[in-house]
Amino acid sequence: MSIDRRKFVTIGGIDRREFLSWGGGLVSAAFLAACDSRGPRAADKLLNYAERKNRGLETALFRHTSMDKVQRGAYEAGNKLPSYFVSPTVPVWDDSVRGKWKLDISGMVDRPMQLTLEELQLMPSVSNRVNHYCVEGWTAVETWTGCPMIEIANLVGASRDAKFVDFQSFDDDYHESWDIESALHRQTVIAYGLDGKMLEPAHGAPARVYSPVKLGYKNTKYLTKIVFMPVMNGGYWSDQGYEWYGGV
Amino acid sequence: METKRHHWIVRVTHWVNVVAIIIMVGSGLRIFNAYPAFARKGEMFCCYPFEHKPIPDWLTFGGWLGGARHWHFAMMWVLVVNGLVYLAFVYLHGEWRDLVPRKGDIRDSWQMVKFYAFKRKDHPRQGKHNALQKTAYFLMPVFGLLLVLTGIAIWKPVQLSWLTALFGGYVWARYWHFVAMVVIVVLSVVHVFMVFAVDPYSLPSMFTGNYDETLSPEARNARPFYHLLPRRARATPPPEVM
Repeated sequence: MSIDRRKFVTIGGIDRREFLSWGGGLVSAAFLAACDSRGPRAADKLLNYAERKNRGLETALFRHTSMDKVQRGAYEAGNKLPSYFVSPTVPVWDDSVRGKWKLDISGMVDRPMQLTLEELQLMPSVSNRVNHYCVEGWTAVETWTGCPMIEIANLVGASRDAKFVDFQSFDDDYHESWDIESALHRQTVIAYGLDGKMLEPAHGAPARVYSPVKLGYKNTKYLTKIVFMPVMNGGYWSDQGYEWYGGV
Repeated sequence: METKRHHWIVRVTHWVNVVAIIIMVGSGLRIFNAYPAFARKGEMFCCYPFEHKPIPDWLTFGGWLGGARHWHFAMMWVLVVNGLVYLAFVYLHGEWRDLVPRKGDIRDSWQMVKFYAFKRKDHPRQGKHNALQKTAYFLMPVFGLLLVLTGIAIWKPVQLSWLTALFGGYVWARYWHFVAMVVIVVLSVVHVFMVFAVDPYSLPSMFTGNYDETLSPEARNARPFYHLLPRRARATPPPEVM
C-alpha cells in the first residue's frame, strides 16, 4: 500500500473546495471581463421586455394631480441651465428665410390650426417654477411661462381616441412623442418665456414643450408641430435607446 | 462531520444577489458618471468631496448611459423579488433569530474586535455567526431597503413626490442612494475578504449547503490569515508513506 487512504480522502476534500473556489473565481473573472461592455447581446430582449413592463407600471402610477414642487430655498439655475440642441449650431428661426414662425397643430383634431407666436401669447398663460429632471441625473429650477397643453388640446378639439402626441422641431429631425396623459398634465406647457424673459434661441426659441413630468430629452425645443396620434412615433433619443416613456 | 447550514433558498438567493448587486452597482455608477455630482445646477453641494470626478470606467457596466439605465431598471426587479424571497424565507423559517440584533451584541462585537486585534487570545464563543458578522448580515437588508426606497424616490420624483420629500428632496435622495450603495459595497468587500481570510471552508457551504463545524473559525481560533488550516491536522502526526 503506497497511499494512505485517510490522507487521500482529506486531500480530495480540499481539492473539491479548491475546485469550488476556482469556480467562483472564474465566475467573478467573467463579470470583470464583461465590465464596461454593454452586457451580453442576448439580454437585449429581456431588457426590452423590462422596459415595456416598466412603462406599464409608470403609466399606472401617473396621476394628473401629482405636481412637481420646488424645494424651499432652491435657487434658479439661471445661466447655469445648459443649452442643448442636435444641430451643429444654435438653431435660429429666420423669418426672412422660412417665413413667419407658426406652430402647426394637427392630427386627430376637429380644427387643425397654425398659431403665430402672438396668438400663442394671447392664449391662457401660466408661469410654473418647476424642476428640470435631466436623464443624466442633474436637476435645475427654472420658471417657464407658456400656454398649458390642455388649453391647446381644447382649442383644436383633440379627439378622445388620440393616445399619443408628437412634438416636432426645426432642430434637424429632433422630435419626441408622448403618451397623451403626460402631454395633458397641468404642468405641461408650450413655453415661450423663461425666468420672466422671452425664450432665447439657446433654450428653444420661439417656443418649446416644457413639463416637469418628463425627463429633459422628452421636452422638444424649437417647436414647429404638435401632432395628435393614435400610435406612438418614437423620438430622437428614444430611437437611439433611451426609454421612450422617460417620465419622472 | 458536516452539518446542514444553508437551505437551498438561501443559497440560490445569495448567488442571485451577487449577480444583481454587481450589475446594479456597475450600471448605477455608469448612470452616475453621466453627471458625477449632486448639486442642483447653479448651486453647491456640501457633502460630497469628489463633485464632477467620474468613477473609473472599468468599475462601470452598461457601456453608455441609456444602456446602463436599461440594465438598472431591469435588474432592480431581480434584486427586489430576490430580496423579498430571502426575507420571507428567513422570517418563515425562523432564521431571522440568527440575524436580528440582540442585547449584548455590542459587547460581543467589541470582544471580536479585540480578538482580531490580538488583544484577546481565544475566539469568543458564538452561535451560527460571530457578533460582527451578524451585524454585517443584518445591515445588508437594512441598507438594501434604503437603496430601494431612495431608488424609487429618484425614479419618480414627481409622481411619488411624497417619498422623495421624505429623503429631503431629489438631490438628497440621490445622495442617500449613492451613500447606501457605498455601504453595501463596503460590507460586500469585507464579507468576501473575511470568507477567504478567516473561513474559506464556508465558501463550499454556500454551494452545497453543508458545513463542517470542526473547521469553523471558532474551532480553529482563526483570525484573518491565522490558523487557516484545520487544527486536527496539526494534532495528528502525518501518516507514514511507504
